[in-house]
Amino acid sequence: MNPVNIPNVKIAVIDDDLMARDFVVTVLMYCVNRDVLSFDSGLAAWRYIEDYESPDIIISEIDVPGLNGFELIAKFKEKSPGKKCLLMSDNPANEQPARNSGADAFLAKPVSVNDLFDVVDTFVVKG
Amino acid sequence: MIRLGPASVRMRAMSDDDIFSSRLKLLIIMAKAYLSDCPLGTYRKKAVIENANHVFYHSLHLVSESSTLKDNVFEPQTEIGSLKKTSEEHLFHQRVQLLAVMAKALAEDRLRGHFRKKALIDNLDKICETLIFKFQIRDVNFLKVA
Repeated sequence: MNPVNIPNVKIAVIDDDLMARDFVVTVLMYCVNRDVLSFDSGLAAWRYIEDYESPDIIISEIDVPGLNGFELIAKFKEKSPGKKCLLMSDNPANEQPARNSGADAFLAKPVSVNDLFDVVDTFVVKG
Repeated sequence: MIRLGPASVRMRAMSDDDIFSSRLKLLIIMAKAYLSDCPLGTYRKKAVIENANHVFYHSLHLVSESSTLKDNVFEPQTEIGSLKKTSEEHLFHQRVQLLAVMAKALAEDRLRGHFRKKALIDNLDKICETLIFKFQIRDVNFLKVA
């Protein structure tokens, strides 16, 4: 049995596609057995992070309104270095910019259940 | 940076079908994890109920959509193969809806007794046979910690 590396992990998911976002939230909530934060724009997520707390992991679609995924993780990394930033996209052209932005992972869409299990295994269980 | 998901050439926006098949797969994993005695905490129960609701209503929607399409066809469907396929699809969706009800019951601690669990196992087997989908619980050991 693997030990959980981040106890009481707090994860935020940012995507303006409600169906996709709800799916990601359900999988992660089930895996970590903790509440998962959910936002439909980068700006809403950033306001929450500024006003309340920094999640341990943010998983953001790149093309979201307000602040896009790149802008959001740049601000997040500046405020909370060491925390994990994952970017999602259905556009292959976004992969290299995601690498350059310092994202810890790039999730190509359509995201599968196994991809999200890998996220939990890599960033929550192994840390 | 690690990369997850399909190769670049297969990247696309998530369609309703992608979400339905992924949620169904997740529901199967949730049920199999329950049968393997993985613990169910508060949020896991919430996730199971949410997922079961999504799958149930999406499946209902797909069934009603396909029957609407069938009703709109002027020529009667006389081909035996086509009728058999429709019947198999109907049965598959009934099994999926039953699985959703069972998953909701297990999250609400109402799926008790040997025969209810056996019915869940049978239903899972039939659905997996149809999907030709094999799930191995050892791949997700972290589910054993709540």
